[in-house]
Amino acid sequence: MNRREFIKGLALGSLALKFQPDLMAQAQDYPDLAWIQGEAPAQITTEAVATIGGIQRFVSKGDVVVVKPNIGWDRIPTQAACTNPVVVKTLVELCLGAGAKEVKVIDNPCNPARRTYARSGIADAAKEAGAKVLFPNPHKLKKMALNGEWLKEWEVYTDFVESDKIINVPIAKTHSLSRLTLGMKNWLGALGGNRNQLHQKLDQAMIDLAAFFKPCLTVMDGYRILIRNGPQGGRLSDAKLFKTVVAGTDYVAVDAAAVTFFDMQPQDLPSLSIAHQKGFGEINLEKLKIEKRTV
Amino acid sequence: MKKERSKKYRLIQALRILSQAVFFVLFLYLLFGTHFPGEDYIGRVEIFFHFDPLLALTTFIASRTFFVSFVFAAITVVLTFILGRIACGWVCPLGSIHQAFSFLFKKTKLLRPKRPKGKQTTWKYYILVFILVGTLFSLNLVGILDPLSLLYRSFVTGILPAADYGFSAFIGILYKIHFFSLGDSLVQFTEALAVNPVFLQGFFIGTLFVGIVLLNLWRERFWCRYLCPLGAFLGLISRWNVIKLKIDPKKCIECHLCNIHCETQANPFPVEGWKSSECVYCFTCSAICPTNAMEFPLLPRPEDIKTIDLSRRKLIFTSLLGLLAVPFFRLSPATKRTSPKLIRPPGALPEEQFLQKCVKCGECMKACPTNGLQPALSEAGPEGIWTPVLVPEIGHCEYYCSLCSQVCPTGAIQELAIAEKTKVKIGLAWVNKNRCIPYDLGTPCIVCEEHCPTSPKAIKLVKTEVKLPDGTIRTPLAPVIDTELCIGCGICENKCPVVDKPAIYVTSVGESRSERNQLLLDLIKENSGPY
Repeated sequence: MNRREFIKGLALGSLALKFQPDLMAQAQDYPDLAWIQGEAPAQITTEAVATIGGIQRFVSKGDVVVVKPNIGWDRIPTQAACTNPVVVKTLVELCLGAGAKEVKVIDNPCNPARRTYARSGIADAAKEAGAKVLFPNPHKLKKMALNGEWLKEWEVYTDFVESDKIINVPIAKTHSLSRLTLGMKNWLGALGGNRNQLHQKLDQAMIDLAAFFKPCLTVMDGYRILIRNGPQGGRLSDAKLFKTVVAGTDYVAVDAAAVTFFDMQPQDLPSLSIAHQKGFGEINLEKLKIEKRTV
Repeated sequence: MKKERSKKYRLIQALRILSQAVFFVLFLYLLFGTHFPGEDYIGRVEIFFHFDPLLALTTFIASRTFFVSFVFAAITVVLTFILGRIACGWVCPLGSIHQAFSFLFKKTKLLRPKRPKGKQTTWKYYILVFILVGTLFSLNLVGILDPLSLLYRSFVTGILPAADYGFSAFIGILYKIHFFSLGDSLVQFTEALAVNPVFLQGFFIGTLFVGIVLLNLWRERFWCRYLCPLGAFLGLISRWNVIKLKIDPKKCIECHLCNIHCETQANPFPVEGWKSSECVYCFTCSAICPTNAMEFPLLPRPEDIKTIDLSRRKLIFTSLLGLLAVPFFRLSPATKRTSPKLIRPPGALPEEQFLQKCVKCGECMKACPTNGLQPALSEAGPEGIWTPVLVPEIGHCEYYCSLCSQVCPTGAIQELAIAEKTKVKIGLAWVNKNRCIPYDLGTPCIVCEEHCPTSPKAIKLVKTEVKLPDGTIRTPLAPVIDTELCIGCGICENKCPVVDKPAIYVTSVGESRSERNQLLLDLIKENSGPY
């Protein structure tokens, strides 16, 4: 393309937009949240992503994508302490199907990584789908300016910052301090350092982290949710088969939806109320366009 | 006289080196394979130890119980009976290290082999006697000097951590010079190897090992010659083996090369003075002989063979020393009161039996996924040096892991299924309210509760009134331990954000294996465990 063609194209394009403004506004046709229920985790995940516009809306050809599940604990899938491996696997497959150059799956767990990666089933599932499953690499830990209200800087694994796209795949669980651990809390797994100290002002930490990480898509794994003894559970009875996946671009809205899994209101979580006040997203589910389906 | 070295024995020598290499690689393979294998149960990575008749014998005598896996040691015994100390020359990985370094030192002229003078040194036999006398009184010190224990322990706590340090420094350099993808793959590779990087006595044990290797500067295979108790044991039972040395007097030019290069102190020339119990059948002498005068024919007939001379006087003296060592090694308050820091791995036998069986090999410390199992210094008294203790500040006991109990080669840690293991108490957690963030500062924390692996959690959060310096009162959630549910895994201590000295800590009281070290009487009844 030479300069003349470029200018010509620019002029034509702006003219076209003037008379047909919705040409570039397709995104608004999608629902805010896809709320899919069903028996098979793979199917509801695929359906949820399709409902909010398909994976092509988020992942382009040649992208390096980081999929961030919760692989925090040395627990098996039925204990519902880590993200469902099939949900992770399905997302990896979708990304690679959309032409992503590389999909990385990383988390910085609480128990030894070799155990959590294996026993959660996520390492095998994601590898099978073609992802690079990476142990957190201490050489990639860099102190970064988070510029939050409380967290001015913290050590972050650069994988999360250097990728083209991030997809957040938390699991919905109870938590004794933040009441629930959902999407915003999942970012603690992208950090190094003495992150246990973040509990001293956990809600503020979650807000500051949410403002820093920019997921293009949040997929809430509610296939099994942890209703007791969180965030680890243990007994199989601590987990509840809920068979739901919620996907959306507004991570606050996704978290707000997940709160209702536990018969609570989004306003019950201080972190969500603050996030809403700061304009990070919507927590009033009535104001959201939610497509709820059972497949 | 035609000068020609024996092709046959040079071939045998090459085969011997090959055999040493194969067994050494096997040893390393099993060593590196001793970590979480991706599933709950690991294979028999500790198999090397089961071929060690000295460990079999000493743990048998000391504990008066036979651990079934040691049947493999019979193979070594029978082989040694028939073929002499080939296990030393062809198999033993520590022997191979000594030989390799001796060779290296010789080639670099750091070690100048001399003609042995005077009588052979018989230290190792007395060391053996010393150890065996102790075992009669259930004092098991074999682990300190058994070659396999020594090698494994030194590698696990000293050599591998040092190598790991060097390797990760190298990776750091790669990142500095922008070799990112190579760095990334090497990091993933080292993560997968799961080498435990820190050990309390790593410096001490590692230095000791380096020292033992450096002894080869003084005499070739110094350890095998003078110190190895297993070598002594095999020497004693190899007196009747069928491989005998013959020197053809017509060919021999009495050059003494065989004696000078003899790796042990078998003294091949003159043949009447050859000690079959010292010979490790490395075949160096017959391969180096310039006139091909040496043969090792198979002679099943017991001939009158010279063996090492052990003086009866010294034997009695050493036995007395061994006897004296028994009370000396037990001069410790550890026998009267359990140390709070003596947190044994889950499945460990009651202390007395544990010490009789533990050979301080470090298998459990290699298998531990958190690096929490550490070699003891004084926690268990002098006889318990280098036995495993859990140090939660370094690493906790992982809830769904029983690897240490699976890899223990002597049964000092009883093998536990995962379901059994999660019920074993190894200690109890205590909150230090003077340091705990909610109790002391009124600030929320809950990290210990969050990490507590039991369900329901052994750490409960209770609203507690806290007075701040300005007199105001806050009511944060603060941790309270449910001693009935707590298994003492120590993850709370490990993860406590009060980093220098955790505000929650585990002590050994309440451990399932002990009858005495209990807190509340009813705890004994309800949790009397698998013992």
